[in-house]
Amino acid sequence: MSKWNAIVVGALASLALATGPAMAQDPGVTDTSVKIGIFAPLSGPAMAYGFDVVNAAKMYYDKVNADGGINGRKIEYTVEDTRCNANDLVAAVKKLVEQDNVFLLNGGSCSAATMAAKDYVVRNKIPMLMLNASGDGALYPPTDYIYGAFSISQHAAGGSVIQFAAEQLKAKKIAYVNHDDAYGSWNLEAAKFMAEKTGTELAVESINPTITDVTAPMLKLKAANPDALVLLTYARPAALIIKKARELGFDKPIVLTVTGTANLGQLVDNVGGPDALKNFYTQEVLADVPGGPKLQWVYDMYKKAYPELAAKPDHPQAYMPYGVASAMTVVEALKAAGKDLTREKVVEVLKTLKVDTKVMAGPIEFGPTDRAGQESTIYMKFDGKTTTRIPGVYTNLWQYKG
Amino acid sequence: MSRPVAALLVLVCLAVLAAVPLFGSGYIVYIANLLLVFVVLCLGLHIVIGETGQFALAHAAFYGIGIYTAALVGNAYALPFPLPVLAGGLVAGVIGVVLGAAALRMRDIYLALATFAFGEAMQWVFLNWTVVTGGPNGLSISPATFFGIAIVNDKEAYPFVAALAVLMAAVTLVISRSRLGRSFRAVRDSEIAAMAMGVPVRRTKVTAFALSAVLAGVAGGMFATFSTFIHPDSLGFQTTILVLTMIVVGGLGSIFGAVSGAIFFGLVSELLRQAPQFQEIIYGLILMVFMMYAPRGLFAAAAAKLGGNRHG
Repeated sequence: MSKWNAIVVGALASLALATGPAMAQDPGVTDTSVKIGIFAPLSGPAMAYGFDVVNAAKMYYDKVNADGGINGRKIEYTVEDTRCNANDLVAAVKKLVEQDNVFLLNGGSCSAATMAAKDYVVRNKIPMLMLNASGDGALYPPTDYIYGAFSISQHAAGGSVIQFAAEQLKAKKIAYVNHDDAYGSWNLEAAKFMAEKTGTELAVESINPTITDVTAPMLKLKAANPDALVLLTYARPAALIIKKARELGFDKPIVLTVTGTANLGQLVDNVGGPDALKNFYTQEVLADVPGGPKLQWVYDMYKKAYPELAAKPDHPQAYMPYGVASAMTVVEALKAAGKDLTREKVVEVLKTLKVDTKVMAGPIEFGPTDRAGQESTIYMKFDGKTTTRIPGVYTNLWQYKG
Repeated sequence: MSRPVAALLVLVCLAVLAAVPLFGSGYIVYIANLLLVFVVLCLGLHIVIGETGQFALAHAAFYGIGIYTAALVGNAYALPFPLPVLAGGLVAGVIGVVLGAAALRMRDIYLALATFAFGEAMQWVFLNWTVVTGGPNGLSISPATFFGIAIVNDKEAYPFVAALAVLMAAVTLVISRSRLGRSFRAVRDSEIAAMAMGVPVRRTKVTAFALSAVLAGVAGGMFATFSTFIHPDSLGFQTTILVLTMIVVGGLGSIFGAVSGAIFFGLVSELLRQAPQFQEIIYGLILMVFMMYAPRGLFAAAAAKLGGNRHG
């Protein structure tokens, strides 16, 4: 090699060494910061699904920063509104990734809209941890990049309520009301699996979420003579059904899953008072009843972070704690990925991550083919005034088989 | 609008269209693609409402038919662009003819209600015909292809989407200035007078429905070119209302108004995402100001000031 060739090769080698690590570094990471893109509905009719969940995630990230950050890095976050709409959600995600250059995504409160980001996120290999969307359609079949169901997966909601009705309420025949939408198809799949496992029979009625008269489905279900009625509906149809059940003299246990329990006080009013709730149970995915002692630290944190909001009626909103569970998982994944942070390291960590958040009914746990974080439920007896915890935790047994 | 001004505007629009992928991030190009889809949707609604005066409210349904047809054809046969788009337009057009024929005897609020009902029924079909549409789980859309090359991001899709939007705008302009366009406007202004002048009113109405549906179907096909997923939730009445708002704000009866309304309202909608606490108030205020001070649409008023007519 001539002297000049050696100089040129040496210079190129030095340049490669100097620029190598910088070129390999993923967007959104510096030695002192890591940038997270948060997205959720912050306006419009679905705002309640996202507003306080985002606030909870932000307050947890702020707390982590106040405690010194993660591996010497402070968390920076950018928040985008999705309006619970697929086009807006995709716009939000693309803005966060391509314009704000975030390292990972932490967002999604509406399952149908969140599914719209799946192909883009997977194609661009960006880790995405949902906020409170069940998101089953984006979780199954599993991918390396999308993790969700920090509240609960719909599969788990459907499977565990059947387990509860069979084991706790000793039901042999269960009337099952779900919606004729994505949620309904997901929860019914696991419910059927669990019914077979527990030797129970299901009488299924799938209703439209906008239904205004539930007489026909309720007459059908009453005629089936079930031992229990489980509702996997939103709050409004649930209230109509509970009211109709009372009118028809249906006195068997009624179990309402977490999809319809956002405001139990409102439910009492909507069903015409406590008389309709004499044999009534609710499903909960938090570690305790909202506002209960096990969760007091979350509510205290919220009060400290948002004193003006906390003083308002109906705040914090019911789903607020879910944001802490999701943000905590993001933080634990970033911690475990180490100082030399890359997106691929984060997803490798996530695939087997287990985090006991102390917020949810069970641990956040992922597996080789499992991308649904939270699959445990607890149950309460609610008589319209007081809530009594039923002992035990009911965990989903349905698994994705491909 | 005078010819030199119109020519200058067209040149400026084409220059902006060409510059978008050069200077915009993938996010900006995605927004541009979405705006171009809404431009074509607005052109479709402009034909049936703005030109023909038929108050049809099923546009989101035809848009959905276009998306699902293009997506299913693309997924099943991997046909090269623009065949899935063409399929989307044709299927929507055929269904548009059927709806148009069925709605011939209806006018005003009755037509609005009937077409609204059709839109709702189609959304129910999208939601419940699970084996075809994926139903509540939505439908993943395979990347469009061009000479065997997959179009996998917004920047790659943009030239095709932009070319289609320009083509559809040109077609709408040609139709508007043709004998058929004059027939549309004659029916809009007075069906009895149009009939007296020998305009085949029934055929004109059905043609307007069909063309409007074809444009909505093509818009759906365009969406399927750069999007990877469709869910029935995106194809409800609110989408029809959004497109209607766009053509009203732009200027009912004006192609320039329909295009400008789509771009203006689309951009405003995206910008308002940055102000979630105030966006509904600002959105409402914008609409109120338009209705109070520019009831014929701001852009139509601007075009008139520049010396224009009602259908340019």
